[in-house]
Amino acid sequence: MLNVRDISVYYGVIPAVRDLSLSVERGQLATIVGANGAGKTTTLKAIMGTLLPKRGKIEYKGADVTEFPADRRAGMGIALIPEGRQIFARLTVKENLLLGAYHRRDKDGVKKDQAWIYDLFPVLQERETQLAGTLSGGEQQMLALGRGLMSHPELLLLDEPSLGLAPIIVSDIYKVINEINKSGITILLVEQNINMAMKVADYAYIMETGMLRSCGSPEEVMNRESIMKAYLGE
Amino acid sequence: MLTPEYLTQQIFNGIVFGAMYALLALGMTVIYGILRLIHFAHGALITVGAFCFYLFFMVFGLPFPAAIALIIAVGALMGVVLDVVAYKKAVGGPEVSMLITSLGFYIFIENLMKLIVTPQPYAFHTPEYLDKIYSMPMLTFRTIDIFIIVISVAIMVFFQLFVKKTRMGTAMRATSESGEAARMLGININRIISISFILASAIAAITGFMLGAKYGQIAYNMGFMAGVKAFVAIVIGGVGSIPGAMLGGFILGILEMFSVAFLPPGYAAYRDGIVFFILIIILIVKPSGIFGQREVES
Repeated sequence: MLNVRDISVYYGVIPAVRDLSLSVERGQLATIVGANGAGKTTTLKAIMGTLLPKRGKIEYKGADVTEFPADRRAGMGIALIPEGRQIFARLTVKENLLLGAYHRRDKDGVKKDQAWIYDLFPVLQERETQLAGTLSGGEQQMLALGRGLMSHPELLLLDEPSLGLAPIIVSDIYKVINEINKSGITILLVEQNINMAMKVADYAYIMETGMLRSCGSPEEVMNRESIMKAYLGE
Repeated sequence: MLTPEYLTQQIFNGIVFGAMYALLALGMTVIYGILRLIHFAHGALITVGAFCFYLFFMVFGLPFPAAIALIIAVGALMGVVLDVVAYKKAVGGPEVSMLITSLGFYIFIENLMKLIVTPQPYAFHTPEYLDKIYSMPMLTFRTIDIFIIVISVAIMVFFQLFVKKTRMGTAMRATSESGEAARMLGININRIISISFILASAIAAITGFMLGAKYGQIAYNMGFMAGVKAFVAIVIGGVGSIPGAMLGGFILGILEMFSVAFLPPGYAAYRDGIVFFILIIILIVKPSGIFGQREVES
């Protein structure tokens, strides 16, 4: 479904990602793990289109989308739930959710997805008319997830959904991530929380200083001690 | 003399001027919210709007509603021109380059107007029915005052409904909070920017007509002070807040009228200086303005 081939992404002259290739199959839950600064977020931004790679190619559903701007990719079914959530604090919960469906024309489908999201996160329905900035950290993460789902994505890019949340809330969020994947949505998950990510993923990529270090099934990857050492910096 | 009649009259005048400042501040705030740009060129649209009305109504002799419709169209068109010619290329660059572009655009238009219409002020006439004087026990006013208040309030109400209730308006508010997040949701930011410029510029053009009608004369540089005062109104109300900008406009209008009314006659000419004095006081006492929010960390 997603094919990233040899991309290099720069911030000005500084390379953040070099010659990275990865692919995600339809229905898969793939994960990219790695230490802070490894280039995980940059990779997701390049796939979403908020950053354009200097070299390489990104193919999505068989089409070359390398040059497409983010809003066009959103229309093709890619959604990114950014690190730090980036919900609109001065808009209500409901307005945030409806903006997720901004490019959609199928009113019935939007209603159905909204009902599904309220089903996944009942607290969002309770707080529908509240300003999003008044929600707790966990609720904001739920809203960010819900807003991403409102676009009816085929490929969901998740950037550190566990960041800054209490462990009990993290496990709630991960339950839902699993459920979303079971519903047929392909997920590419970026995490520093390696244990959590490996538990849910079908396939894992390990990144280190902007490059791909290793990939395989979570068991394979976890068993390679050298890689664990690299991750832990030993 | 400080009589109740005098006080009522000054408050009323303040509201009329405040309404116009509020309209200008509204447009500038919308643009600031989306581009983080202090839109100096807004003032140029005031001048252009006023002179276009002069041209359509007094020179060509078009009916009043047609002249008004035309200046709204000209304002909107100028908004498109500004967006395409001046800003499209500067968006995404350093913020200061847009600021300079905006200032440059203002200076360009002002000089162009000076060249076309000469520095001489023009007497500005409205249809007779807008010039009728009504005297009441507490208040004397002209029809144009009522026109200004009614139209301004109507525009502000419609604008609030637009940003609060429509899909496009919600997207606009989202964009002003975080352009990157909005783009990821599939919102076409360029279109939001264009629409903001068109709306703000059309409103500025009609405000130009109002200012001309209220003062009774227009000049090539009339937009400068008005634009700067609109910015002061924004600071009073709290940068980034639409209701704040509108409230700031009214507060500024009333303060300005009071400063004219209560100072000895010789000092009335310093009204603009007094406006800035008030701005400095406000910046010291409440730097974020009445409805100001701290910038949200991204």
